[in-house]
Amino acid sequence: MSSQTPTKFDVVVVGAGPAGASAAYLLAKAGYKVLVVERGRGAGTKELFGGKIYAEPLRTVWPELDKEAPIHRWVTRERISFVKGERVTTVEFKLGRKVAFTTYLTEMAKWMANKAVESGAILVDEVRVDEIIVENGKVKGIRSGPDTIEADVVVDAEGVNRILLEKLGLAEKIKPDQVALGVKEVINVGKKALNERLLLDEGEGMAWFMVGDVTAGIPGGGFMYTMKDTIALGLVLHIGKAYEAAKTGELKQTVPMLLEKLRTHPFFSKIWGDADVLEYGAHMTIEGGLRYMPKKLYMPGLVVVGDAAGLLLNTGYTIRGVDYAVYSGKLAAETIIEALESDGPTEENLRKYEEKVRASFMFRELVKHRGIEKVMEDPMFFTKLPAMLNILLAKLYEQDYEEPTVLEALLDSVKESDVSLSKFMLKLFSVVSKL
Amino acid sequence: MSEEKGLKPIKIEDLLQRTVYDVDEDPHIEIIDERGVPKELTMLCPCSCYTTVGEKLLYSYEGCLECGLCRVLSEPWGLRWEYPKSGRGVQYRFT
Repeated sequence: MSSQTPTKFDVVVVGAGPAGASAAYLLAKAGYKVLVVERGRGAGTKELFGGKIYAEPLRTVWPELDKEAPIHRWVTRERISFVKGERVTTVEFKLGRKVAFTTYLTEMAKWMANKAVESGAILVDEVRVDEIIVENGKVKGIRSGPDTIEADVVVDAEGVNRILLEKLGLAEKIKPDQVALGVKEVINVGKKALNERLLLDEGEGMAWFMVGDVTAGIPGGGFMYTMKDTIALGLVLHIGKAYEAAKTGELKQTVPMLLEKLRTHPFFSKIWGDADVLEYGAHMTIEGGLRYMPKKLYMPGLVVVGDAAGLLLNTGYTIRGVDYAVYSGKLAAETIIEALESDGPTEENLRKYEEKVRASFMFRELVKHRGIEKVMEDPMFFTKLPAMLNILLAKLYEQDYEEPTVLEALLDSVKESDVSLSKFMLKLFSVVSKL
Repeated sequence: MSEEKGLKPIKIEDLLQRTVYDVDEDPHIEIIDERGVPKELTMLCPCSCYTTVGEKLLYSYEGCLECGLCRVLSEPWGLRWEYPKSGRGVQYRFT
């Protein structure tokens, strides 16, 4: 370890989110002098996500996760609903194994940051980092207002709005088609009502994805996650396409009103009724992690983790961000420890972080599902397919005397929803091969 | 589509009341040149912080949820966009 002065740290971590907390925890546990700088009032106050976290990658950092973390419910039921007006087609899957849990990220981030502090990391909150300081091509520390803090290594865990990386020149200005907007309401339904209405046992939860009319023609979808006593109800909207729809006038309602339309939807609202909205929030997420990834995830004295590194998997119906963030923090910490134990955080030594990322499940997944967000942008999937399914079922079930054959109903629904059958089969193949 | 009886959409200004803020006296976002800030933000901003009065685009930072959408859609010379300082701004509790 390097010589220590009060303003010099071995590692400064920018951001006490899942990625920053995981890196800080492992580095502090290994005996390094770690400072975590967080812009919010305590860890977690600027965090917002959908609601579900995949547990196993987190257990590689915190094996005590299941016993200690603020887990609300384990997801045992997954629902997908295809929406066309008042008609809704739903598929429900009862899982045989518990792989993901629901929580508030505000609570979870606090838990993770506390782990880092308990291991000896220093957390300074209410400090916004304005700049990563570079001298002679090497990162030397950070600046906040007039104050500078020196460090051998800086871990950039600043999140999806990578202001610092843009200033450094490591990332380009974000393009509208690289990101999606998430908006979310937390609704106080009550534990008993949730368990009864969704047929959930104690401690069990549901993840519900809605596709179709809920996004008013914009690629994206709706989501609902059950928390202990509340639900998280939200929308994810492709920003580039939403911007186009607003320009052409196709978008008739404001984004918050679209979410309110989902909350008051005659079918879905049966679950939560008129229960109180406790909180409303918004956060940006990534469309296509590989397209968002900076050219390099490191430079001498710097590594980039979590959302800032584009390490988030968005397949259109599932977003995995928190577990990727934690796992990238772990790979960063391992690389930094190796570097500080040998000849320091040089370009060559920190390149190993990116090599570890590229050899990990995260990168394999991002490559495997590469381009899925482009396919999912096709109106075929978020408008026409939901319409076709509901027209098909309406033809079969909404008849007074004579039902068509399934084939007749299928051909009619294809025609009425304006789907070209050959294009549909081709598109279906490209989705199935990327999902 | 008929709405659930008694279930009326909540207006954005009432929705924002559910969220806790510690508003800074200094704005963290400012329109510098409205030619570089798209009017479509009146539809897209999740807190409806953008409004138009006549032809003029106005911004009020008090209800900002710090998502970064307007920064993505604006030209760097059109908008000054920063996170609030000193822990100010939105204080999420259950998200």
